[in-house]
Amino acid sequence: MQKKTAYSFPDEILEHVFSFIQSVKDRNAASLVCKSWYEIERWCRRKIFVGNCYAVSPTMVIRRFPDIRSIELKGKPHFADFNLVPDGWGGYVLPWISKMAGAYPWLEEIRLKRMVVTDESLELVAKSFTNLQVLVLFSCEGFSTDGLAAIAAGCKNLRELDLRDSEVDDLSGHWLNHFPDTYTSLVSLNISCLGSDDVSFSALERLVGRCPNLRRLLLNREVPLDKIANLLSRAPQLIEFGTGTYAAELRSDVYSNLAEAFCNCKELKSLSGFWDAVPAYLPVIYSVCSRLTSLNLSYAPIQNPDLTKLVSQCPSLQRMLVLDYIEDSGLEVLASSCKDLQELRVFPSDPFGEEPNVSLTEKGLVAVSSGCPKLQSVLYFCRQMSNAALVTIAQNCPNFTRFRLCLLDPKIADYRTLQPLDVGFGAIVEHCKDLRRLSLSGLLTDCVFEYIGMHAKKLEMLSVAFAGESDLALHHVLSGCESLRKLEIMNCPFGDKALLANAAKLETMRSLWMSSCSVSLGACKMLGQKMPRLNIEVMDEKGPPDSRAESDPVDKLYIYRSVAGPRFDMPPFVWTMDEDFASELS
Amino acid sequence: MELQLGLALPPPPLIPIETFDLNSYGNYETREALGSNALSWPLLKLGPADNDINNIHHHNSSSSSSSSSSGGGAGCKKRSFDEAPFFDEKRNVPKTLHLLLWTNQPNDEDDDPSNVLHENSSSAIFKNDGEGLVGWPPVKTWRKKVHHQIPNGGAENNRLPKVENGIGGRASKSTYVKVKMEGVPIARKIDLSVHHSFEGLTNTLMRMFGISDGNPKIFKLTYQDREGDWLLAEDVPWRTFIRSLKCLKLIRSRG
Repeated sequence: MQKKTAYSFPDEILEHVFSFIQSVKDRNAASLVCKSWYEIERWCRRKIFVGNCYAVSPTMVIRRFPDIRSIELKGKPHFADFNLVPDGWGGYVLPWISKMAGAYPWLEEIRLKRMVVTDESLELVAKSFTNLQVLVLFSCEGFSTDGLAAIAAGCKNLRELDLRDSEVDDLSGHWLNHFPDTYTSLVSLNISCLGSDDVSFSALERLVGRCPNLRRLLLNREVPLDKIANLLSRAPQLIEFGTGTYAAELRSDVYSNLAEAFCNCKELKSLSGFWDAVPAYLPVIYSVCSRLTSLNLSYAPIQNPDLTKLVSQCPSLQRMLVLDYIEDSGLEVLASSCKDLQELRVFPSDPFGEEPNVSLTEKGLVAVSSGCPKLQSVLYFCRQMSNAALVTIAQNCPNFTRFRLCLLDPKIADYRTLQPLDVGFGAIVEHCKDLRRLSLSGLLTDCVFEYIGMHAKKLEMLSVAFAGESDLALHHVLSGCESLRKLEIMNCPFGDKALLANAAKLETMRSLWMSSCSVSLGACKMLGQKMPRLNIEVMDEKGPPDSRAESDPVDKLYIYRSVAGPRFDMPPFVWTMDEDFASELS
Repeated sequence: MELQLGLALPPPPLIPIETFDLNSYGNYETREALGSNALSWPLLKLGPADNDINNIHHHNSSSSSSSSSSGGGAGCKKRSFDEAPFFDEKRNVPKTLHLLLWTNQPNDEDDDPSNVLHENSSSAIFKNDGEGLVGWPPVKTWRKKVHHQIPNGGAENNRLPKVENGIGGRASKSTYVKVKMEGVPIARKIDLSVHHSFEGLTNTLMRMFGISDGNPKIFKLTYQDREGDWLLAEDVPWRTFIRSLKCLKLIRSRG
């Protein structure tokens, strides 16, 4: 009898099998089967995702994966988007670029989110990665158009350049001129964040004209409306287009040129931009509306009835971003017209106003939940909510994967019963079994957290503000949410006990952010001492923690797991609680 | 009142575990009801020897009233793969820290002081230079600007809306500019749209950098304009200043 082992495949065959496994999670799973699979997998892994750039060091990554072609890195915590993370916190990409320059000369794709990217980094990228095809800088900062010029000049194979939501120092619009005349491979360009009013338009026109594969073009606000027609006529193959400012005096020649240009873009499916939009020019896109799957009007101060009329002409919409000018009435029209809607985001036009300026309430969201069976992802800012509405929404949409509700007044109760909104959000987590992301708001007690811990088993990211009453709340979440990866909390009255009781849970998560809560310095020190594979970062701009008592609450706390140990690039207002810190100051 | 932390694993036989029965928390009206009883916090200890994640969740799911029965084995193992892309393969999860209960003090004082502070001064703590609650509502900076662009809340839709607001011709979508103070390594950011005069701006800057009122003349405000030149703010009118500035710097005046 011959003994046959299942592992007698030659390595090349396994490698070939692995090449069909694209998902990072599956790759990770495969690598843990046995040592030989680990070895084979690491040599043929081409794409990695590092959700927290401080969780691992570039050296470690390079050591394990010798031949990476695509990397995605994320830096600052999500609350940095709302100015909660002070400048200088960290998230520098240069150390990564420096190490990868030598190790991955064939790198093709770099995707960065919330990282500090300097011109020096960009210059190094342009010099080191001649085969770079994709550069995405999502919510990044620290660089100028000089860095972009280096990329334009050096990356001859660039297909995609996406600067979405980044903060760029605009020194000169002439960076676009640095794309050589022979460069024709651009497929996707997103410069919507650029502010300079001298983005050289002629260079842009020439670039667009010579790149026949350009499919995605998102312009910045400064491109005037009367230049759009010309640009579009050079790129009728566009699938996704973002206008610049959408306001101009009404002129029939401009109007008809625009209408014709849009009409000729037979493949256009997605529109955005529309800064300062005036209703007069809206009809020029009507010819495109029936094909549109994605429409972003969230910068457009258009109101009803113009807004509703536009929406009613887009039956194929899957993704809709809009300001609360759409009001409940507009959302009802959306619900009856757009049966394929999957994602809805409604932003506040006057977030800091005391009084409501529009008639947008919970009724709009209920209407959409009822009329759009495929609705999966919601971000909704409004000023009133009721438990009944939330229960109805939950029952209408059991397929929610992302539900983020932001009631502008942080502790507002159910406006009909004056009760907390616990039951409403409880219904959401109970009915939506696939919920991966949830943001809470309104008046909430510990109760809602009990529901979340009990039901939200697939929840990966939870955002909490001004909620809960005691450490039980945090304990419910940390002990019940099995899939939790990211937890961010602001202004809640809990901390120490729940954290200490669930310290091990923190190692199974990517990160925890707590600001303006009740976490004491003593608890942070304790965690720092006992949990060597967590980085416990305390942020306080008022002064070093050792000048205050152990029981004082820390201002901001950021905890994340890391195999790289504490970082050394922290600014003076960030302290890592580790064994050294605790012992030298106690 | 000190929080005690134990780390050591209990040797077998197991100490009986206080179950954390969520059903027993019928009402949440008074926290004192929970706190004043001595044993209000669970001992979330691990089982014997084997400290991996499986056991942690096994305990939690057996002691909670949740109906997730798939807790145990397969579910947890899968999760640990998912969660550890770069972890060392030995995956030694350290022992759970368990809490010893706090002492039998009625009406726990330890968690109250900070919470009382929190509630009483919530309005003071969170407001930030008249910009409202810090970080709330969670709207990205450039979205806030859309409102500023609309005169009369958008009633004048049929006319060309003004692109200019108090910031003048600033093309950048952000109303925040960087401010550096000589000698301070970290730059700050300041929202220009809430200031309308040099006086207001100077006051904010003094507060931000902690310069006392007694010495207002020590620092001079300079700014860098679009051409890259550094100029003294006091030499130009406010509107010119606002239109052309890119960033600010406070320097010590000499002589």
